[in-house]
Amino acid sequence: MIKETIEIINKLGLHARASAKLSHLANSFQSDIFLIYHEDRVNAKSLLGILTLAASVGNPITIEADGKDEKEAVQKIAEMFKNKFDEES
Amino acid sequence: MKQLKGKPVSAGIIIGQALVYNSHKQIILKEKIPKEAVETEIDRFNNSVKFTKAQLKKIYTNLLKTMGKESALIIETQYLLVKEGNLVNDIRNIIINECTKAEWAIKEIETKYVEIFRKIPDLTFRERGNDISDVMVRLIHNLKSNKVITNPDIDNVILVADDIPPSIAANLMSQGKILGLVFNEGGETAHTVILARTLEIPTILNAETATEVITNDDILVVDGLNGEVTINPTKSFLTKTLIKKEKYQDHKEKLKQVMKLPDITRDNHPFHLLGNIELAFESDILKSYGAKGIGLFRTEFLFMDQDIAQSSEQQYLIYKNIAQKFYPEPVVIRTFDVGRDKASEFIQKEVEHNPALGTMAVRLFLKERDLFKKQITAILRANETGNIKILFPMVTEIEEIYTIKTLLRQCREDLMKEKKFHGKDVKFGIMIEIPAVVKLIKYLKDDVDFFSIGTNDLMQYLLAVDRNNSSVSYLSSPFHPAVIEILFEILEESTRIGKEVTVCGEMAGKTFTALMLLGMGYTRFSMNPLAITEIKRIFTRIHFSYVKKVVKQLLKMNSKSEIEEYLIETLLKKYPDIFIKPPEF
Repeated sequence: MIKETIEIINKLGLHARASAKLSHLANSFQSDIFLIYHEDRVNAKSLLGILTLAASVGNPITIEADGKDEKEAVQKIAEMFKNKFDEES
Repeated sequence: MKQLKGKPVSAGIIIGQALVYNSHKQIILKEKIPKEAVETEIDRFNNSVKFTKAQLKKIYTNLLKTMGKESALIIETQYLLVKEGNLVNDIRNIIINECTKAEWAIKEIETKYVEIFRKIPDLTFRERGNDISDVMVRLIHNLKSNKVITNPDIDNVILVADDIPPSIAANLMSQGKILGLVFNEGGETAHTVILARTLEIPTILNAETATEVITNDDILVVDGLNGEVTINPTKSFLTKTLIKKEKYQDHKEKLKQVMKLPDITRDNHPFHLLGNIELAFESDILKSYGAKGIGLFRTEFLFMDQDIAQSSEQQYLIYKNIAQKFYPEPVVIRTFDVGRDKASEFIQKEVEHNPALGTMAVRLFLKERDLFKKQITAILRANETGNIKILFPMVTEIEEIYTIKTLLRQCREDLMKEKKFHGKDVKFGIMIEIPAVVKLIKYLKDDVDFFSIGTNDLMQYLLAVDRNNSSVSYLSSPFHPAVIEILFEILEESTRIGKEVTVCGEMAGKTFTALMLLGMGYTRFSMNPLAITEIKRIFTRIHFSYVKKVVKQLLKMNSKSEIEEYLIETLLKKYPDIFIKPPEF
């Protein structure tokens, strides 16, 4: 199992479209993937779960993956956060 | 007598009985079911899920087209919530574990999530709770959608609703069971409104509190001209209404007179006005607008229903039916133009960085050959009357045309083997949307029977502007000199090789751009059915020779503002009544 904590830097945080992108990406991996935000831990493959986090800009979020492709999963998801979900340039 | 004021969105005046359809106030009690019934209940729920998905997808696509990405996002979120399965599985589990009716299970899960979202301090996130409620209401609606549709009480009523699933509204309206529509809010009714307009059903949005103030069987006057809803009107008010209604009918009648005129300009230059349609039933009313055939049948709406998309047989019946209805007028069927926005549920497509330049329309379909062949087989087979033409969107190069033609031949041979081919070949056409194709026209004499110009896309690719992007949309102009030149070129090149061209983008249905196209020499125009009467009124009032002279001058000008000004001013000077407003009522 691996973990990585990063800061949310896109303005809108995990809003609907970003959450949709994120859950879509998470679903492309075999590993179990979770997001930890403050005290909440949700399945990153569930759009509904991600939305309930209400994760906003400037806060840390932890990506946790467990499985065959855990390394790649964490790396790709972290990248998506760092690229601000490709929505701002 | 009481009055509400809303926003009129579909003209007309109607007097009738109210039927209040209140989705949010349904009281749902916990209803236990026997264990043996659980499986049927799950089936019922699964059907609702399937229906809801298809509905949301339809609304999404429609919103995307009419209102842009941001507005469509609400529906996109709702769609994804249903699609991803967590919500749906939670509900299934309650039905199974607690042996309850699906309605109750949905309500339970809704309460659970609404509670979670209500506690979120950030407003933008808190509002996502509304999305969940919306989805749930829709799921509950769709559990009984059949009941609503076949409800014998719904006949010749004015429907008053806070929200109604568009598919249900569409169904009721298309069966002629609704006289008028009054909505509490504006919201996600775009699709319903478009249909109401097409079917000339007076409609009012934003009549706040309508579902509370109005009760069943109230007599209503719905005035789709000024937005007033009058509840239980007095006698004198009714008399006034009837007079107003008559005046309005007169006006409409005048427009109908226009429809009876022959399709020629004042100097006897002929033109052909056709309709663009999306839903099969729209074809029913197209003729009453004076359309001489269907210039563009967009099949994307069919594609949204996976069962139809996967079934050549179902598509065959739909296409055949429309072709028969319009025989001998032409029916141009465009193959699925999908893939621009996002991958379909049943087509796996990588997320692309630049979808407008990516895998879409025929590009996507040449990769999804099974689906593609099903559709073209259905079209080939449906042409029993001989008036069907097939049209392929977003063709880039001649190689694509060869590939498509090979596939067409294969499908035709397969049909012959199955003895389902009736011997009438369909005319083969391509859309001119990619500017590069204009340069290919001269090589296409032997390969293509006709062309259709999609002016919206042609402009987008020629000017490199997304007109839905508000920060650059000012650059998207049909009067850019390059647009004018390329339109001249398309007509010249296709006439040289003896092929018919139809303009089917927005330019064909708007007063001045339509006149400009007519002046260039175009004679075939396909447009939103609602625009046909007005375009016909204008075309029958002008002289082709004069408009031609004016439009020729445009080639000498180098700026869009100069062109636009010159065109409009010169035409208005000679024909001041091109722009008449409907009389005051």
